[in-house]
Amino acid sequence: MHKIILVILFLASGLMSEAQYPGYSPVNDMAKFKTTFTAASQKTTSVKADFTQDKNLSMLSEKITSRGNFWFKKDSRVRMEYNQPFKYLMILNRDKVYIKDGQKESRVSTRSNKMFQQINKIMVDCMQGTMLNNTDFKTMIFENRNSSLVELTPVTKAMKELFRSINVIIDKKDFSVTSIQMLELSGDNTIMRFTNKELNAALPDTLFDIK
Amino acid sequence: MLHFRIPYLILSSCLLASTWILPGCTPAHKQMQNPGSTGSAVDINLLQKFKPAFTVALYNTTVEVAGNHLSGLLLIKKMPDSSTRMVFSNEMGFTFFDFEFAADGTFKVYSIIKKMNKRSVIKTLQHDFELVLMNRLEYSKASVNTNEGLTYFIFPQTRGFNYYITNQSGEELVRMERSTGKKTVVEAIMKNYIAGIPDTIGITHKTFEFTIGLKRIER
Repeated sequence: MHKIILVILFLASGLMSEAQYPGYSPVNDMAKFKTTFTAASQKTTSVKADFTQDKNLSMLSEKITSRGNFWFKKDSRVRMEYNQPFKYLMILNRDKVYIKDGQKESRVSTRSNKMFQQINKIMVDCMQGTMLNNTDFKTMIFENRNSSLVELTPVTKAMKELFRSINVIIDKKDFSVTSIQMLELSGDNTIMRFTNKELNAALPDTLFDIK
Repeated sequence: MLHFRIPYLILSSCLLASTWILPGCTPAHKQMQNPGSTGSAVDINLLQKFKPAFTVALYNTTVEVAGNHLSGLLLIKKMPDSSTRMVFSNEMGFTFFDFEFAADGTFKVYSIIKKMNKRSVIKTLQHDFELVLMNRLEYSKASVNTNEGLTYFIFPQTRGFNYYITNQSGEELVRMERSTGKKTVVEAIMKNYIAGIPDTIGITHKTFEFTIGLKRIER
């Protein structure tokens, strides 16, 4: 009888995962995925891409779409330039953040600003392939034929106050990040999709300079 | 002892009255005249045309507060139940707050980040946006005065007054003010209306460093 219940629970958990992320099923061998993913990520020294960001406001039935360019270079350097429908530049260079909105420039240390520290860590972790080691989150991995879905559920109080979960979709071909989905406590979510990706392109250090 | 206390109490009452009740006693508007007395009455309903007719609008937003700079996007949407929702998020999509200004004047916080979740912060933002939305104005209690070529539409609030200041003919909204009656605490502007929606909104606090700048974004 117990065996039957266990089989039913096992099947039910599989169905629930399917329902949670249609088309995806859970990855059982997390260690294998981690090894393969980390090895592939280590070969990626830079990423250049375009991005489209959709913020979905569920209760308002509204979507705010913005577009821009993205650059990542090891170690821990990210440049995000929003071009439409507004201009906004953010450079993360190790523990420093530079922001230009309109004519206003600001420089922030991630040491003194927790929110930027967390954004910085999430963004860099996703690109460097170190997100599976982030102890701020509990990790679940799902997959379909073409991609893997890494579900990061906050475990620390600070992160729990910001996000319900962060889902990272990874292309199985080259283990590059296809999209990052941030789910907020309110039910709203933001999806950042990367297109026209170039891996390991030669990117000048000056792109990430914070003067 | 009683002799000293009574004049003091009267003085306190007068000060209190001048602060919260009597706009005519306020130094800033001492010279105001009722336009009716000069034979050029201004219809109070003229002001209605400046009430923003939000359907849905997205604003590039900058906030300066106590030496700190913050930017993001403010979405303002009129909902089917006639309430107005305001959602402020940073450029990367993270929501700072989600407010509702209901048609009956009530206010609701749907969400706000922990750092901003303080009664004083919420009240300040509520009153600032109500000044701009013009959603809690009782026209039956309002009065119109003039001073130095400007027309003041004065609306008593629970505490103090909201002033909507136009040019003499009431055709151009020069600025808005929230006042304790004794002094102006907030000044605001709304400019370049397109289809009833202002393209530029500015809110400046006079008693501490806090400004909000909104510039409409074409989506």
